Amino acid sequence: MAEPGVRVAKSDDGERIDWVAAEQSPEFKELIATKRRFVLPATIFFLSWYFGFILLAGYAPGFMGGSIYEGFTVGYALALSQFVMVWVLSYAYLKRADRDFDPLAEKAAQVAFDAGQKGGKR
Amino acid sequence: MTLLAADIRFEALGIFAVVLSITLVVTYLASKRMGTATDFWAAGRGITGVQNGFAIAGDYMSAASFLGIAGLIYLFGFDGFLYSVGFLVAFLTVLFLLSERMRNSGKFTIADVLSFRLNEKPARAAAALGTLAVAGFYLIAQMVGAGVLIEALVGISFELSVLITGVFMLVYVIAGGMLATTWVQIIKAVLLMVAATVLSIFVLVKIGGNPVDLFNDAKAESPDGQAYLEPGLFLSKPLDTVSLGLGLVLGTAGLPHILMRFFTVPDAKAARSSVVWAVGLIGVFYVMTTMLGFGGRAILGEGAKEAVGAENGNLTAPLLAENLGGGAGTFGGDLFLAVIAAVAFATILAVVAGLVISASGAVAHDVYSNIMRKGQDSEKDEVLVARVAAVAIGAIAILIAILGGQDLNVSYMVGLAFAVAASANFPALLLALTWRRFNTTGAVAGVLVGVTSSILLVLIGPQGPMGEEDAIFTLSNPGIVSIPLGFLACYLGTILSKEEAKAERGFDELYVRSETGLGAEVGTGQKLVGKAD
Repeated sequence: MAEPGVRVAKSDDGERIDWVAAEQSPEFKELIATKRRFVLPATIFFLSWYFGFILLAGYAPGFMGGSIYEGFTVGYALALSQFVMVWVLSYAYLKRADRDFDPLAEKAAQVAFDAGQKGGKR
Repeated sequence: MTLLAADIRFEALGIFAVVLSITLVVTYLASKRMGTATDFWAAGRGITGVQNGFAIAGDYMSAASFLGIAGLIYLFGFDGFLYSVGFLVAFLTVLFLLSERMRNSGKFTIADVLSFRLNEKPARAAAALGTLAVAGFYLIAQMVGAGVLIEALVGISFELSVLITGVFMLVYVIAGGMLATTWVQIIKAVLLMVAATVLSIFVLVKIGGNPVDLFNDAKAESPDGQAYLEPGLFLSKPLDTVSLGLGLVLGTAGLPHILMRFFTVPDAKAARSSVVWAVGLIGVFYVMTTMLGFGGRAILGEGAKEAVGAENGNLTAPLLAENLGGGAGTFGGDLFLAVIAAVAFATILAVVAGLVISASGAVAHDVYSNIMRKGQDSEKDEVLVARVAAVAIGAIAILIAILGGQDLNVSYMVGLAFAVAASANFPALLLALTWRRFNTTGAVAGVLVGVTSSILLVLIGPQGPMGEEDAIFTLSNPGIVSIPLGFLACYLGTILSKEEAKAERGFDELYVRSETGLGAEVGTGQKLVGKAD
């Protein structure tokens, strides 16, 4: 529905769009809510997993040095789990954003832009 | 050690010359496409997501990553690897909170985003200060690192090494702007990945093919025994470990030269995919720092401690390469060492070029064009001032590096840069994008407190001039204090000052723009070769 040209900046964009109305639009609210449903839990998870690791490294060196398999330590396994976490979360975010966030953003932008074209409130 | 001999290593010089020639060709091609300010600072916004992913990797993985972490792991085992983890996890902060919003709402600099809804002059001045502080400390650290390494690896003097690095950095930036800088970073990322992969495979073969043996062999070669595989050898205070972790995971999201990269792609979608490419590359590289660090310990042993540098272990990776190539004095050993030296040099060049161009944006785009000329100057003027600013910043960095000399502690300066980024730039940016009430006073207070508290805490800390014994602040990493202080100053400055009608009205516009990409800056679509689209 939205043609690609819609996102292109026009010099008078700022004047012609009612940003307060755009922020209040159901389309924009839906975009924010959908994004938040992914980003908030993902952020809480990655910060907890990371700082859990850091706290263990700081306060439980003996535990971290324990061997899981012939000298491969708990600390090293947890460190590697951080790498896996980054790859999985960033790839999941990419997929979600391409599939869900972008169409919603496009829609919210379109609504705001169309309202502006009709000579919005300002 | 032949490595430290005063005679010049011609193999290394030859490989340096090849790498430098390629970068000069790239710069020449880019120079023909430098017209507008958008071309100069944002490469015409024509960089693709994949290209930008490689460029972010090239911009981010500094000598501190390549040589520094390998050295820390060689010396202190597990603690060195904590840096690898923190440097990587930091990109989730960037991806979830900043990369797309920056692309959607900014033009060239961090200040663009802040001044969007705040009072132009003070907000820009504060953001420019934060940018220059981070870029300045980081730049000097890299220049000193370049000087020390090239002197050790190639045999030319420290001063000349710094000068050569500085001159090439300026040539890329002045002649080829962001387009040349981007391609230098892409080339460097490829070189670094290939070099680290080859070394890792050689390490694995040498220890017999079983990765687990790496840890056991390393432990056997360390006088610290089991403690070498445990945390605590480098960061002896637990709170220091936490503070470091905090600084790393939030610091990257305040590094101006990394954030600036998001302005070079066509849209938010490309910004997002570039981060995913970057974490793929950077993650694989940081896993390989294990091979370089533990491998260095397992293969070179305790006997190499003086040769690699007993304080920082910076020469672990090059000496490991020499050993794996066949040992000192053999053809293979010399060749490997020369290649690693050239890769290290390319690594530093790509990072310093990115730093100088971001600093030039703060001086020319923020201070000159928007504060002094109130945006009334022509783009031509802005780009001219950017080039002059780049020369000035480069010259100052070269001078400080040469005068401060090898005594300047590289990791100390990098730590300072990350602390300022996390405590000043990150809170102000995040709150400008997400908090409606946030105002100019809050932003200025946050940046000022963030910058001064992190510098002060490092100065009175154990790495500062007072020394380990007499330090007033006992942590080496100030993040755990300075980051909350930065946020607190943003908060207090905001609620203790009058509500700012413009900032709150502007919030809706910035919020909608940053989330939807409506009205986002478009580029000229410049490419290094081929037609613009």
